[in-house]
Amino acid sequence: MKLGNYQVKLEKKLRVGGWEAAGISILAILIALLLVSVIFLEAKVNPLDGFTSIFTYAFADQFGVPLTINRSIFILLCTCAFIVPIKAGLWNIGMAGQLYGGALAAFGVAYAFGASPSGSQNLTLAPGLIIPLMMIGAALGGALVGAIPGFLKGRFNTNEIVVTMMLNSVAFWLVAFMIKDGGPFMGAGGEGEGFILPPSLDAPQILGGPYTILLALLLAGFLYFMFARTKLGYQIKTYGQSPSAAKYAGISPYNIPVLVFVIGGLLAGLAGYHLFAANPGVYKITQNYGDFGDLSFYGVICGLISLENPLAAIPIALLFGGLTSGARFVQGELQMGFGVDYAMLGILMITLVAFQFFYRNKIVWKKLEKEK
Amino acid sequence: MPMIEIKRGDTVLEARGITKRYPGVVANDHIDFEIRAGEIHAILGENGAGKTTLMRILFGLTQPDEGEILIFGEKVNFRSPLDAIHLGIGMVHQNRKLIPAHSVLENIILGHPSAGRIMNLKRTGDEITELCNKYGFKIDLKAKVWQLSEGEKQVVEILKALYRGAKILILDEPTSALAPPEVEKLLASIKIMTGSDLALVPFITHKLPIVLSVSDRVTVLRHGKVTARLETKSATENSLAKEMVGREVIFRLERVDVERGEPTLQVEGLSALDDKGVLALKSVSFSVHEGEIFGIAGVSGNGQQTLAEVLAGLRTLTEGKVTLGGLDISHSSSLERWQKGIGYIPSERVDVGSIGDYSLTDNVMMNYYFDDEFIKWGILDSNKIRKLTEGLISEYDIAVPGPETTAKSLSGGNLQKLILARVLSRKPRLIIANLPTQGLDVGATEFVQNKLLEAKKLGAGILLISEDLDEVLSLSDRVAPIYEGEFMGVVSTKQARREDIGAMMAGLKNKVAPV
Amino acid sequence: MLDFFARSLNASTIFTIAALGELIEQRSGILNVGIEGVMLFGATLGFIVAKTTGSYLLGFLVAIAIGGLIGLLHAFFSITLGGNQVVNGMGIWILGFGLTAYIGYPYTEPLGMDRIPEIGGLSPFFFLGIALVIITWWLFSKTTLGLKIRSVGENPSVAEVSGINVTATRYVSVVTSGMLMGLAGAIYALDYNPVWSINFLLGWGFIALALVFFSLWNPFILFGGSVLFGTLWQLSLNPQLVLPDIMSRYIWRTVPFVITIGVLVLMSTKWFSSRWGAAKPEALGLPYEKE
Repeated sequence: MKLGNYQVKLEKKLRVGGWEAAGISILAILIALLLVSVIFLEAKVNPLDGFTSIFTYAFADQFGVPLTINRSIFILLCTCAFIVPIKAGLWNIGMAGQLYGGALAAFGVAYAFGASPSGSQNLTLAPGLIIPLMMIGAALGGALVGAIPGFLKGRFNTNEIVVTMMLNSVAFWLVAFMIKDGGPFMGAGGEGEGFILPPSLDAPQILGGPYTILLALLLAGFLYFMFARTKLGYQIKTYGQSPSAAKYAGISPYNIPVLVFVIGGLLAGLAGYHLFAANPGVYKITQNYGDFGDLSFYGVICGLISLENPLAAIPIALLFGGLTSGARFVQGELQMGFGVDYAMLGILMITLVAFQFFYRNKIVWKKLEKEK
Repeated sequence: MPMIEIKRGDTVLEARGITKRYPGVVANDHIDFEIRAGEIHAILGENGAGKTTLMRILFGLTQPDEGEILIFGEKVNFRSPLDAIHLGIGMVHQNRKLIPAHSVLENIILGHPSAGRIMNLKRTGDEITELCNKYGFKIDLKAKVWQLSEGEKQVVEILKALYRGAKILILDEPTSALAPPEVEKLLASIKIMTGSDLALVPFITHKLPIVLSVSDRVTVLRHGKVTARLETKSATENSLAKEMVGREVIFRLERVDVERGEPTLQVEGLSALDDKGVLALKSVSFSVHEGEIFGIAGVSGNGQQTLAEVLAGLRTLTEGKVTLGGLDISHSSSLERWQKGIGYIPSERVDVGSIGDYSLTDNVMMNYYFDDEFIKWGILDSNKIRKLTEGLISEYDIAVPGPETTAKSLSGGNLQKLILARVLSRKPRLIIANLPTQGLDVGATEFVQNKLLEAKKLGAGILLISEDLDEVLSLSDRVAPIYEGEFMGVVSTKQARREDIGAMMAGLKNKVAPV
Repeated sequence: MLDFFARSLNASTIFTIAALGELIEQRSGILNVGIEGVMLFGATLGFIVAKTTGSYLLGFLVAIAIGGLIGLLHAFFSITLGGNQVVNGMGIWILGFGLTAYIGYPYTEPLGMDRIPEIGGLSPFFFLGIALVIITWWLFSKTTLGLKIRSVGENPSVAEVSGINVTATRYVSVVTSGMLMGLAGAIYALDYNPVWSINFLLGWGFIALALVFFSLWNPFILFGGSVLFGTLWQLSLNPQLVLPDIMSRYIWRTVPFVITIGVLVLMSTKWFSSRWGAAKPEALGLPYEKE
């Protein structure tokens, strides 16, 4: 294609480096913000005011920062849940279903030990024991939901993408069953939301935030180490590179899919625990739980942008978390229509998706020789 | 397409001075030849002789840098395969270009210009049936292609080309994927086809006996140039081979005589299915001893691949017993077999034996990640493996800057050296070498063969699978020709005659008791 | 009781049309998991246009147009840019959900127009759905265009060598499918349940996706499946009809997905593939590059 005196061509890239990927993503985010400005302008708001508002709330406000961190940790855990299977070449887009499973399991444990929707507290076990059990329950619940596509993939080579999407819907409606219309986990107010945990089961705080923050960061670091240095990480990566070469090397093509989806599900289950059972001031499965299931898809794009590196995912998850909370705030603050945060996130998502193109291709400019 | 009266013997296609250059190599170097109507004109050449490039030019997939092509006397310029098809050239590919899920009829009419908006299955069906009758093909037009045998799929491709009006059929390695009975059928069809005015141009690497029995003329390519144009009547297998390779083909390696030790591998009554669910191994029994090379000679597709995979633990057996040094490993996993001392050199260097995007170190890890020597509490000692890799790179003379180079940048020869290095460094007591020199140039081939002989001297038992009969005969102590999943005999190479082995490979059973 | 079946069939119409769109697209080799997003665009814009202009026709036309436009976007990302189709589909869904939530919110209320007249107690679109099923079947089994689409979805390089323009064929399929999805969304918003509210499609786009896999890419099985899924949805609105103590309304809604998982596993077994081959278009979801 000719552009003036230059020949423009598209060339495939062999691989994209970390800094380059960061640069492309920053460009994508800037373009997305530009597109979002259109929404601001249409609502007769100065875009600069809008962005300032978003970012100051997200990263400098006493209420905004905890919210940002809360959302960021959620996205980080979802990202890790996506990264582990993708290293094995498998797509986990069932984080939503897995996190619902984890949330149900966590509240199920609390319920089983006496926490009841009516608010009365007859805990049959010391809270100090119930809380870790809730967390473990959430991990197992998510792992169980994750094990299904993993097992089907390993045993029958069933497409994991479709199975995970189906399970998302199944789990979604199961949560609805549990918390609405008189379901067992329904909250006392009858609002179609889950019951509130008794205060003794609130997640312990460390440095002003629930302990799940530290847990998530440690897990991200551990996963990074696992893939870089351990035998298990090597086996997973090798399978992801070539299942037939992995089989040749003695790596089981049946076990790896199950394993990575169990780990992924486990991480997503913890995300569910973090979001609903460890969220200060909330401590329940909220009425709009589906929105968070949708938010979990940001784990996918975060995983892709970070080039499947759990540590690199941390700042990106932080950014997304900030944008989520800031956008919701700016809607009220600048009196914009309901749903503007959804719209912004939608535009952000599609722009980032589009820019994935530049991870695989580059534009090459060649000056044309003057014709004789 | 020009409507000219074509008589047998008329020149239909002429290539003059075809030249094609790629960075570093002249793939086709001023090639001239002509094809006549009604003849079978074989183009013979080793891998790398320039056959593929020439084929791609003739079919419009690539343009020559110099030279011209004339069809029926008119100069032509192909910009794409469609141009070639319009001018009457059809191609029958080695990897079938068919759609398995569709029926035979649908595959044949796909993209046909006169197909019209609505598929007229009756009319096209009748037309194709007529074609089948004309050339003696028997095929069910309604069958789905995935259900057909390799030979039948090839017939579909031939019909597709003929239905598009091809007068010149280019056949890419037409017999390589066929079992012997299907080869017979194909040769019979070829004879009928050329009884008419079609010209057939098979491009062939080996299978010299077929070339001799079927073709009218042969053009031999070597290093991109035409080295011989012969009437088949006046050629022999040896003369053709000499033109292909440029020297006496059969070179004998120094035979290494080693005292044969205890049996390392014992196989009793082994049977197994291939990917299509067909019984590919039928109750095979044999043993491989320490310090011995046991060769399996046969045309590919007779069960060797299945045998290698079963012994390496990559495929389950349906019956039989396999023992290694007295230990029953019939149901052991491939990992267990590595750990017990089997080393497998796979035939698929790129897809199975290595990982292109991994560094050399990570590739070497494929056979070491499970070794306690290199792991502590689940963590791999990558420094140690890197040092091991550096040692292997220098010992095996692999031409790379360092152990961090990615495997995909390696040439075939260097990649095979890497795989060999990795497997042999474990000092396995049984080595399964599956087509270890396939696709390698002369230097790399000799290197690999010498390494295997070295391993033999150190007492390993080696199972060698090769399509190159000369290689099998020079390296092995005993050889078993395999045909349709059975061993036709087991003979000592010192006493065997080449013709006998060849006959057994073609299905004749040995009258003498196995050695 | 009759009313129950009528509502079931009306619901199934929307599944049918959206799923037919995805079926056509998938047979050409392109996967779109963001059907819900396309349907939301069609539903919301169709609703807004109809409400503000008072014209059903305009509403439907705009819905079909926007569906085609979004289809074009997906086609561009997946074919020309060669991006991962699952990620693209999700992007479209999140974009669709986000934009329509914002644009549609001011219109959170009933449509307020005279209902579209029924035929024989059923929505007229039910018959449109049947017609589309037959047309789709005829397209794929009797026409050369259908053969081209199928070939492009099975093995694009073979199709290309046989003289078919893979890119153009895929673009046409994807845009057409977008139009059908937009139409399905509009039927939901203008005929089936003419009240806008946020996320009012309740995941029907995902049911349509499940339906395509359930149907083994056969339009008639698709129709049968959509009637089944429509009935299941109606049961979820009237759980008192069958096993009220066991099946709550929400449990009914999980059934289509569970059944589809079962079908997926069935497709993967040797038993199935040795009889019917691989039902799925071989090249589904894989980017194609011209050699």
